[in-house]
Amino acid sequence: MQKSAIKRTVDMQIMADWVETGARVLDLGCGRGVLMEFLAQSKKADVIGVDLDVDKITSCIKRGVSAYQGDMMEFMRAFPDDHFDRVICSRTVEELGAPNVVIAEALRVGRALTVGFVNHGYWKNRLDIVWSGRKPKNDVYTTDWHESRPANPATIADFEAFCALKAIRIARRVHLRGDWQTPCAALPNLLAGYALYDLVRGGA
Amino acid sequence: MNDAEPLSDDPRSEPGDVGLVEPRDFISTEPFTFECGQTLPGFTLRYETYGRPNAARDNAILICHALSGDHHCAGIHSLADRKPGWWNNLIGPGKPVDTNKFLVLCSNVLGGCQGSSGPSSTNLATGRPYGTAFPPVTIRDMVRAQQRWLEGIGVPSLHGVIGGSMGGMQALQWAVEFPSKVRKVLAMATTARESAQGIAFNEVGRQAIMQDPDWNKGDYPKQGGPRVGLAIARMMAHITYLSDAGLDRKFGRRRRSIKALATAAPNETTGPVPGGFEFEIESYLRHQGQSFINRFDANSYLYITRAIDQFDLAAEGTLEQTFAAVEAESLVMGFTSDWLFPPEQNREIALALLRAGKRASYAELATDLGHDSFLLESPQLYDLVRGFLK
Repeated sequence: MQKSAIKRTVDMQIMADWVETGARVLDLGCGRGVLMEFLAQSKKADVIGVDLDVDKITSCIKRGVSAYQGDMMEFMRAFPDDHFDRVICSRTVEELGAPNVVIAEALRVGRALTVGFVNHGYWKNRLDIVWSGRKPKNDVYTTDWHESRPANPATIADFEAFCALKAIRIARRVHLRGDWQTPCAALPNLLAGYALYDLVRGGA
Repeated sequence: MNDAEPLSDDPRSEPGDVGLVEPRDFISTEPFTFECGQTLPGFTLRYETYGRPNAARDNAILICHALSGDHHCAGIHSLADRKPGWWNNLIGPGKPVDTNKFLVLCSNVLGGCQGSSGPSSTNLATGRPYGTAFPPVTIRDMVRAQQRWLEGIGVPSLHGVIGGSMGGMQALQWAVEFPSKVRKVLAMATTARESAQGIAFNEVGRQAIMQDPDWNKGDYPKQGGPRVGLAIARMMAHITYLSDAGLDRKFGRRRRSIKALATAAPNETTGPVPGGFEFEIESYLRHQGQSFINRFDANSYLYITRAIDQFDLAAEGTLEQTFAAVEAESLVMGFTSDWLFPPEQNREIALALLRAGKRASYAELATDLGHDSFLLESPQLYDLVRGFLK
């Protein structure tokens, strides 16, 4: 198995653990539907994904999971509050232009929100910038600057500060080391390669 | 294109055509009450089938045709046929709607004029065509008649219903009307409620027909009728099936000499033409109009466009309330250049189904062929159809 495939399996398992059996789940930036298929099979979840690319939608349909081609904000605006038991942003927020707007809307249509992202503050990424003075390039960030998509990388510290600022309650958090498997207990913003958050609306 | 080879059972074979096919008639002798309350003593639906039923009798796929379509959606009727059925590219052995796997069925709609009961059928009470005495038809009437036909020929349930445009309306209506009989609904380039713009275009077509003196309030002999009005209706409608970019690509401003066409295009058709030229799009549209009047009945055109205009799945509340009954899984497909049933109207179908808690997907193909894009030979479209039906 490829290294990236192992990583994917780990974070899928944690995300599935946070999904109730039979839950109605929305996957924002669902890609080819691998996670949705896993949730449908392991959790009998009623899943719908959103993505922009027709080829990704086609892959989802071939897998037998539902998918909607279009803008995720427009999609969510079409639904009443609490329509979904859980919304999932798996490696999606790092590509958003306005993550705060999407997360706020996801917490409106969903009773809970899973956010999984690559920790840009991981020491190897910092080293790339400090040492070579260049954009991080490694197993996770595989492309040179000139062939990279627009990105909005987040660190664990950024994300925690954001949740505090918006009074979003963090129900659960999982930080994983650089192997994306071993739990990271100390100094996560420096030592964790991957972060998963289970969020609910704050306030009440 | 039409190799007319015998139907192959080998799923590994190259995609081929269904070959020679024969239309059949289903005659229902039970009274049929239309949504309007009027009753006919029975009706006929002309239909074709391709492929075979499986042992479990659960592999049937119903194809629903659009306004000007018919039951002949694949194969050829004779070796001399120049054109195969209208969805021949999609339906056949090894094709996305695979006749090696599925029993594919298609009927001419109730109210149509290609062999099914409609205004041009003979009214046994008078011995003349019904004309406007035929009961007004709705999409729901069409679907209920189809259901009786399928029941009658031993097809109790459908693996899928597929249709574009008005065919998509029927597919949605099937899911609403007979929820337990449909597993998959594939609706393309369609809407859950005809828009004001759609009604507007249909009304111009109807006026062109009814203002033609030969319409005669719908009372005309079988070979007669408002040929000019019907041709103009078709020309206008045909524009709405295409797109600005598609027309530009196909015709641009290309012109041809009228003098060279002196016999083919008499002056009363073209009128005074500066420079003795006309644009190619003009003669193309006239050709569309002319070929249409040879195969379509003007009263049917009035009836079917009315059925389309009446179509509104949100007439008695919200769309999601209507969709609450649906059991099928749906795939809705929109096309970027479709301005008759634009992507938003297709998206809205999928969103309403999802709001109602149903399994629904939405895919959008970037094309420049306008509304008719659903008939496109597109590997992307084929992939989606094949993937959804399996």
